[in-house]
Amino acid sequence: MPTEYAHPEALVSTDWLAAHLNDPDIRIVESNEDVLLYSTGHIPGAVHIDWRSDLQDDIIRDYISPDKFATVASKNGITPETTIVFYGDKSNWWATYALWAFRLFGHEKVKVLNGGRDKWIAERREITREKPAITPTTYPVPALRLDKEIRAFYEDALGHSKNHLPLIDVRSPGEFKGDITHMPEYPQEGVLRGGHIPGANSIPWKTAANDDGTFKSAEELTKIYTEGVGLQPNDDIIAYCRIGERSSHTWFVLKYLLGYEKVRNYDGSWTEWGNRVGSPIEKGI
Amino acid sequence: MGQSSRLADRKRNLTPLIFSVSQYPPKLSEIIDLFEHLPEEEKRENLIAYADQAKNQAPRDGEIFDLEDIRKDEECTDTVGVFLRVNDQGGAHFRISLGPQVQTLTKAMTAILCKGLEAVPVQEILDVESDFVPKLVGGELVRVRSQTVYYILTRMKSACKVWLNRQRAAAHS
Repeated sequence: MPTEYAHPEALVSTDWLAAHLNDPDIRIVESNEDVLLYSTGHIPGAVHIDWRSDLQDDIIRDYISPDKFATVASKNGITPETTIVFYGDKSNWWATYALWAFRLFGHEKVKVLNGGRDKWIAERREITREKPAITPTTYPVPALRLDKEIRAFYEDALGHSKNHLPLIDVRSPGEFKGDITHMPEYPQEGVLRGGHIPGANSIPWKTAANDDGTFKSAEELTKIYTEGVGLQPNDDIIAYCRIGERSSHTWFVLKYLLGYEKVRNYDGSWTEWGNRVGSPIEKGI
Repeated sequence: MGQSSRLADRKRNLTPLIFSVSQYPPKLSEIIDLFEHLPEEEKRENLIAYADQAKNQAPRDGEIFDLEDIRKDEECTDTVGVFLRVNDQGGAHFRISLGPQVQTLTKAMTAILCKGLEAVPVQEILDVESDFVPKLVGGELVRVRSQTVYYILTRMKSACKVWLNRQRAAAHS
């Protein structure tokens, strides 16, 4: 059983980040669910990238275009050579979501702060309300979005369901069973049907996280996903939740911490599947 | 009469209903007026300033209330306590306690509503429409995931309703 993460370089500790706050090759990016949280105080030097207004198209349900991505990266002083350390609230849901979105555009040097914002604050490390003075860069417009490589669509998930390929449902057990159509502690997000994609395995995202928001060890994660679900190294895996943020957390775990090569995040997730006319649904366990 | 002119007539008839303007209590109205004319960035700064004041709205030692409603609801990320005292003139005074996981917008709304509804008659609070929220917060921040921004007003109204029902029940007994 592995005792190390497959890509340990993808995670940084709070100590490591504290020692690299002024590293010119690093850009720290905060991404949260709480839309005003960054403004209440953030890690010195961190910029804010909003999952909705910065990364998603204004009108249609999709991500921004490559040229808009280049604009977002440039205004935040990022170049293709910049190492980005993502962190945020909710055990890094939105940090991993932003990281995944940056990977969609081919940005390779990405890391996550283990434990995210909560751990940094809990350790009483420095925070500031001062926005960093950023010198804009000129990020080249990516040739394409890597939709085929790390993003799954409805038809892909349907194909996985029909062909009995690995589908990981990372929502809460109540959502998986169809008992509830919203996340616990959250308002209804407009889903007409409850349940899960036929054949999906229920592995809530939280099983991969410790109470302090850090990721579980390589041994623990291997037990959960490799032994528990029986995932094989060459499996073609799709993870989903409601809108793709919790499944980004699991995508990061499978891709970077356990080293599965082919993992995709189905960002349409249950808000697409549970509303779509004619989509097959299973209820119960 | 052609179909297009009939539709135009119907639209004209509906307009007053669709665009009717809500009336808010004076202090809340002042806050709304201030926010409405602020650019997005200043709006956010003011919301943060209000959020910072939310902790001052918690009940203080020795305060006595007519109604206390402390609970953790499904749609909110943490416990919220609503404490209501009604003065001799029927005006409401609120204190609100918030758990640490409550979102910044909810904190801001707590401070805004405690200030804006201070000493407003209980029945008037029940009539306050929530359509002012986007004016305060700005369209961009009102998202599905931020719907708890409406939650505090709902809880304050709920406390007022319970208090009124108790008063009515006491009057009839």
